Amino acid sequence: MSKDAASRRLTRRETHSSRAIPSIVTASLLIAVFLWLTLEAVLWLLKDQPLLASPAQLLEWLIGLPVNTTQAGMVAAGAGLGILALVLLGLALGTGRRQRRALGSERAAVVVDHEVIAAAVSRTARRAAGLAPGQVTTTVGGRSVRVQVRPTSGEPLVVEDIQAAVDGELAAYALERPVRSTVQILNEGAVGQ
Amino acid sequence: MRNTNRALNRLLLAILGVLLLGAGAALIAAGTLPGAAGFWETTLSSAREHVRNLAGTAPLPDPVRSWWLVLGIAVLLVGAVLGAVWLASQGGGKTPRLAERSEGSAGRTVVDAGLVSAAVKEALNGHPDVLATSVSAWESRRGTALRLRLEARKGASPREISNTVEQLLQEIDAWLGHPVPVLVRITSGTRTQVSAARRAR
Repeated sequence: MSKDAASRRLTRRETHSSRAIPSIVTASLLIAVFLWLTLEAVLWLLKDQPLLASPAQLLEWLIGLPVNTTQAGMVAAGAGLGILALVLLGLALGTGRRQRRALGSERAAVVVDHEVIAAAVSRTARRAAGLAPGQVTTTVGGRSVRVQVRPTSGEPLVVEDIQAAVDGELAAYALERPVRSTVQILNEGAVGQ
Repeated sequence: MRNTNRALNRLLLAILGVLLLGAGAALIAAGTLPGAAGFWETTLSSAREHVRNLAGTAPLPDPVRSWWLVLGIAVLLVGAVLGAVWLASQGGGKTPRLAERSEGSAGRTVVDAGLVSAAVKEALNGHPDVLATSVSAWESRRGTALRLRLEARKGASPREISNTVEQLLQEIDAWLGHPVPVLVRITSGTRTQVSAARRAR
C-alpha cells in the first residue's frame, strides 16, 4: 500500500472537517460587529443619533457593568461566553474526523462513508448466516464495527462463522485506520422468516 | 478538495475561543470577587481617561477633532476587512479544466473535466452497485486533482466498487497519457435511500 504525498493529502482532507461552516459563521459575526462599531463611531463623531448606543454610552455601560448587574447575572453571562468559547476551542483543537475512512488502494485516494461500510458488513453477515434483511444491524465507529444479529426463532446461529465472514470482508477493505469487529447475537429472535 | 486554508481556520477559531474564555472568566470574576469588580472599574475608567487625553492631542478641524479618532475608526474598518478576507478564504478551487498543455505556435490542448465525467458515466452506466456518479476537477498549488463521487447501492461492497473504479482509472490514465491524482468518494445519497438493495447475485 504505497501512497504518494498527494494521495495522502487528498485522503486527509476528505476524512477531516475543514471547519469552513463555523469559520463562515464566526467571520460573518465579526464583520457585522466591526461594521456596526465603525458606523456608531462615525455617527458619534458627526454628533448624530446613534443606531443602538454610541461608543461613549457603550464604554459607560461596560464600566458600570459589575455594579449594575446582579451577581447571578454576571455569572450567567460569563458562563454563556465560556460555553461559546469552549465550543470554538473544541472545533479548533478537536480532530475534526468525519464519518468516513480511507480504503487501501494502489491508484487513488478512496474514501468510503461509514454508512456504506455498515451496509456492506450487514449484508455480508446476513449472507453468512442466511438471514432476511433487517435481522442484522451494523454500527461503524471510530475504532470498532459492531454487528448485532437477531436470529430466526428456533434456528441457533454460530457466532464464529459470522465473525469470520465479517472479518474477511473488513480485511478485504484494507482500511487505513483499522477497526476491531464484534458480533453480538441478540437473545430475542425474529419470528417466522 | 477545496482550497480552504484549514490551519488558518483552526488558528483563528482557537484565538477567538481563548479571547471569549478570557472575557467570560473576567465577567464571572467581576461578578463574584469584590476586588475584581473594583479592578474592572478602575482599569476601564483609566482606559477611558487615556482615550480622552489622546483625543485632545493631534487635533483636526471640527467634526473629526483628532487623528487618534480617525485611527480608531480605521482600526475598526481593518477588523471588518480582515473578517471579509477570512470569509473569502473558504472554499474555492473548482475548475472546469483538468489538464492543459501549450505547444507553442502549434496551439494549446485543454482537457475538460466534462470529458472524463462523460467517460466515467458511460463506463459505470448500468453497473449494479453504482447508482450515480459525479466528477469534478479541483486545482490547488500542487496541481489539479480529479474527484469522483459515487453513490453506492445499499449493501454494495465498497471494495468491489473501488476495484471497478481502479480499472476505469487505468483506462483513463492510458487515455490521458499521464496519471492525475484522484480522490474517489464512495458515499450514500438520495439515490441510495430510494433504491432497493440487491436481493441475489
